[in-house]
Amino acid sequence: MESLLLQQILNGTVVGSVYSLVAIGLTMIFGVMKISNFAQGDYSMAGAYVAVLVFAFLPGWLGWIGSLLAAAALIGLLGVFTEKFVFRPLLDRSTDIDIIMVSIGLFILLENLALLFFHATPRMIPDPFGGATIRLGFASTSVMRLVCLIFSFAAIALLELFLNRTKTGVAIRATSENRHAALLMGIDVNRIYGITFGMGTAMAGIGGVFYGTLFAVYPMMGVMPTLKAFIVTILGGMGNLRGAIFGGLILGVAETLGGTYISMEYKNAVGFVIIILVLLIRPSGLFGRRESL
Amino acid sequence: MKKRSSSSIFVLLFAFSLMCTAVSPQSHAAEDTTIKIGILGPFSGSLAFNAGEMKKGMVLALDKVNSEGGIFGKQIELIYGDTECKPDKGVAAVKKLITSDGVLAVGGGYCSSVNIASTEVANIEKCPEVVAIAISPTITRRGFEYVFRTSPDSPMFLNGINRWVEQVKKPKTVAFFMENTDYGRDGEKIWSEESKKIGAKELDHLYFEIGDTDFTTQISKLKGLSPDTTFNIASTTEAALIQKQARELNFVTQWIGVGGQFTEAYFNMCGATCEYAMGSSLEPTLNVKNPECAAFVKAYAEKYPGARPGIFSGQGYDNLMVIIDAIKRAGKPTGDLQKDRDRVRDALKTTDVKLSQGEIKFDETGQVYTVTPSVVQVQLKDCRPELRVIFPPDLATSEYQSPKPWDQRSCK
Repeated sequence: MESLLLQQILNGTVVGSVYSLVAIGLTMIFGVMKISNFAQGDYSMAGAYVAVLVFAFLPGWLGWIGSLLAAAALIGLLGVFTEKFVFRPLLDRSTDIDIIMVSIGLFILLENLALLFFHATPRMIPDPFGGATIRLGFASTSVMRLVCLIFSFAAIALLELFLNRTKTGVAIRATSENRHAALLMGIDVNRIYGITFGMGTAMAGIGGVFYGTLFAVYPMMGVMPTLKAFIVTILGGMGNLRGAIFGGLILGVAETLGGTYISMEYKNAVGFVIIILVLLIRPSGLFGRRESL
Repeated sequence: MKKRSSSSIFVLLFAFSLMCTAVSPQSHAAEDTTIKIGILGPFSGSLAFNAGEMKKGMVLALDKVNSEGGIFGKQIELIYGDTECKPDKGVAAVKKLITSDGVLAVGGGYCSSVNIASTEVANIEKCPEVVAIAISPTITRRGFEYVFRTSPDSPMFLNGINRWVEQVKKPKTVAFFMENTDYGRDGEKIWSEESKKIGAKELDHLYFEIGDTDFTTQISKLKGLSPDTTFNIASTTEAALIQKQARELNFVTQWIGVGGQFTEAYFNMCGATCEYAMGSSLEPTLNVKNPECAAFVKAYAEKYPGARPGIFSGQGYDNLMVIIDAIKRAGKPTGDLQKDRDRVRDALKTTDVKLSQGEIKFDETGQVYTVTPSVVQVQLKDCRPELRVIFPPDLATSEYQSPKPWDQRSCK
């Protein structure tokens, strides 16, 4: 016996988990470096195109796992590169506007590079399960969506482990808490910046592979993930990792339930209504004061 | 200093990205050496493939005429304006083509919402705009004398389907899942009236935005309602994703759309999943008994080996050929742009040519009335999707097939 409510919650959770991935990257970058990265969604787009290229050589299961690894690695490296040459020189400036302008410029650049090399035609990343569906009693979904959900949670769990159990991870959290104290403790802050940005973009890249598999790949696809990621980080608290994880899921489910029970026409507006409410009622986000990661 | 050189890197990056932002090449040809025609279309975004198809048809026409010497000894030059399917961008694009580029006429035009706005601007500026694809009836029903359309409007497209719904399908329950634009809502109005006429119960009206990728919310809701027929007006990318996600959620219905979604990209994206979807189409390959259409299909295959001439290529080709024909009959340009534009407008009124869609003649509102779309269904041959004409019986090449549940379909 299928339930519309539970079906929609499942739908929302799947989409929300992908929102979380991209938002985690954004919030990490903000938490450690105070950079609002407007190009975050375009790193997802780049990850999706990496998957398109990998699938051209490696079909099926192998291609999908390969895409995830390649996207994480390549987009992570892209992040390290852009942090070093584009953002770091600006970090000592007093205004944030410069950094926002640069990230917008980066977003325009990445979109148009993709347009140049891949053209505007949308592409699909092939489903390694051939469209198989699965019934979970109360709801159905495709095996692909379920796998995306599981992998999203796995990536998040790995990140949490890294941040809590490894030396570098702890150093990242320390830097986000207090940069100067971290310097005094002997932490190489510049190296931490590079690693953080790289991990943030790697998460976005993995999110991009999921976006591409669930939906479609085209040069302008980065806009929505960026927008949703900002909504999620405001909802969860800028710089707050738990906030980004739960915020993404909350947004995904709120959108699908709002669309189902209030109005389908304004489904996309749900996110913006959430931001307005959060900023009015609890500006630091649902998960309290800006904490370290 | 390190900071200085980094900020100059930033300036260079930004300047480079600004250069790249221009999707369409700007032409600065010297005055009077070419005949300039502006072309509007959503050349970037989720509709880019379709605009590209329209462009391919137009370039086929352009190269044909230019290789024969052009008009009045001058080559024709197309200047493209990217509307991104957004009315504000469309208005900016058409203004630029008319005032800054000084085109003789504007052609192209895919999105209804954009072209309702752009034709108003063109009429105010007294420049002929000949719409190629957008189907909203509003475009030609406001008494604008500079506005024409070389393809049918939505009532003409939906007429055939309405007859089929009345005579063959006779659904008891219907649902609407429309693109939230004039294109979608105009069709919704027509089909809503038709549903009331045949006594079908309207279960729900749902919408989506262009560029949306997740339709699971709406599809899950539709699944709960189980409509016999779901009217779905969407373009290529969204339509393909809807079919894919319907399968993922195990939802079966008779999908009826307009036909603009049945492009090569759509079939590549959804493959056998889009079996049974229906629409109303001007796909050139369906009409090859018409000699002009057969010639167009052949020329297209020669120019673009391996590519298939879809509805938008045919519409694009006809659109540009009609504009060129009118410019020829208007007489040699005098150099007075307004005078020349008025002559082109007058020549357009008396258009009578035979092209890939059939005969093109305009009524007093500027709307073509001599082109008839066919009612089509996607049917599989060796698990590959094909469009087949299924109605009316005297023109049909195949019979209607009722959608089977997903687990009973042999092709995956």
